[in-house]
Order: sequence, then structure tokens, then C-alpha cells
Amino acid sequence: MNFQIEPCTQETLVVKIEKALDFRNAAEFKTLCQDHVRAGARNFILDFSDTGILDSTGLGSIFSLYRQVSPLNGQVVFASVSRPVQVVVQLTRTYKVFRQFPSVEAAREALA
Amino acid sequence: MNLGTYRFSDLCSVIDHVHDLFAQWERTVVQSEADVQALHRVKLAAHEWLANLVQHATFDQRVPEISFAIHLNEDRIDCTIEDNSDGFDLESQLLERSTSLEPYPERGMGLLMLNACTDALTYQSVDGNRNRLTFTITANKDPWLDIPFHI
Repeated sequence: MNFQIEPCTQETLVVKIEKALDFRNAAEFKTLCQDHVRAGARNFILDFSDTGILDSTGLGSIFSLYRQVSPLNGQVVFASVSRPVQVVVQLTRTYKVFRQFPSVEAAREALA
Repeated sequence: MNLGTYRFSDLCSVIDHVHDLFAQWERTVVQSEADVQALHRVKLAAHEWLANLVQHATFDQRVPEISFAIHLNEDRIDCTIEDNSDGFDLESQLLERSTSLEPYPERGMGLLMLNACTDALTYQSVDGNRNRLTFTITANKDPWLDIPFHI
């Protein structure tokens, strides 16, 4: 399984990204998130602790999620960013858009 | 230090095999934090290129052949990826994509990310039906792909 979902509150959930979020599974991620937004989720904590690659298509799917939840006052935040993911964040300066937290717990507290 | 040349013909597994190589090199070869950062940029660049080949390259009726070579130098990493696809005009694609990037783009960033994080990027036809991508990643650099964040 590429993604594990853990609800925190009615509106906030954690999505654990496993080995990769890239062109091979970005569509699955997008559909999964769309389903949860339709069900009422607004805040997404993306857990990258075990992620070995985030590529351009994966990043694009995160932008897609952001476009959906932002007008609804929702947030997308990154937690436990692995080195490979940090390379992409730094290259694209997406820390300007997505807050980063050292752990999922820290992200949960901030969004509570 | 030459880390070797690796050959692949299965487009379904080439990316996973290359990732495994990078994981091995991170454990055994690189030492400084700057070198680790540079290695991860090489991995990202190689991934974006291989993803491009897997998704978009045409091989007519040839069995795909991809070779991947990497060379560590003191302050840079040189990478060469050859393929036997029909090839394409990388420069034109980069120009077109750089002028059409929309805010929070869902697609079209891959080649731009590859170009932004590398130096001396070229893609040229060599010896008949082979094409060669070469690039360099310089340590202690902070490259930037300017993505629009305002709608």
C-alpha cells in the first residue's frame, strides 16, 4: 500500500507517504485525497518520514490537493520530511506554501 | 571515483534499480553532508529523466536499452544516461515549458526541475540510434526552480 490514512479530528487527517510519491502513484494519491475532501477533510498532514522520492508529478498532486482545500480554509502541511523530499522542497521553495514540522505530533498540535 | 556503468532494459523496474544504487552509495561512498545533498540532487535528476523516458520515450520496435554512469569528483558529481529511444529536442521542450508554467502546476515541472538542479545539461544523439544525457551536480550549491505561487 502506498498511503496510510490516520484520522486526527473530523477535519484533519495524516497521510503517511510510504516509499514514493511519484508519477507511478500520484493519481492514486490524488483520488484518495479528493475522496477525503468530499467526506469533509480539510487539513492534511503529509508524513514523509519513510519517503525515498518525491518527484515533479508527486509534487503536482500535492499542489492539486492544496488548490482544493485552500478555498475551504484548509491546509496541507509536511511532517518528518526525509532528505530526498527536502531536496525537492528546497529546489522549488515550496516551504513558502507548505509549513513543515519535525514530527507528525508537532503538526497535529499546530493544527488542533 | 567512478561508481560504474549500469545497464537496464526493463522500463518497469529501471527506476527502482537506480534508487537502490543511490541508497547503497549513500551508505557506502559519500561522507560529508554536502556530498549527501549533492547525491540526492543527482538521484532526483536521474529519476526525473528516467520517468520522462518511461512515460514518453518511443523505441519503435527496439528493446529499450538504458545505461547509467556516475562519477564522483571532489566538488561535483557527473552523470551520463544513454538510451536507444527515438530521442527528442530537449532544449525546445525546456523553452516551451518554462514559458507556460502556471501557478501550483500539476504537470510539466519534471524537465524544468532536472534543468534547475543540474549544470551543463545536454541531450544529444550519438552513434546512430543512441542518445546521451549528461549533467553535473555541483556540491554546495542551492539551485532554485521558480514556480509561481500566486493565482
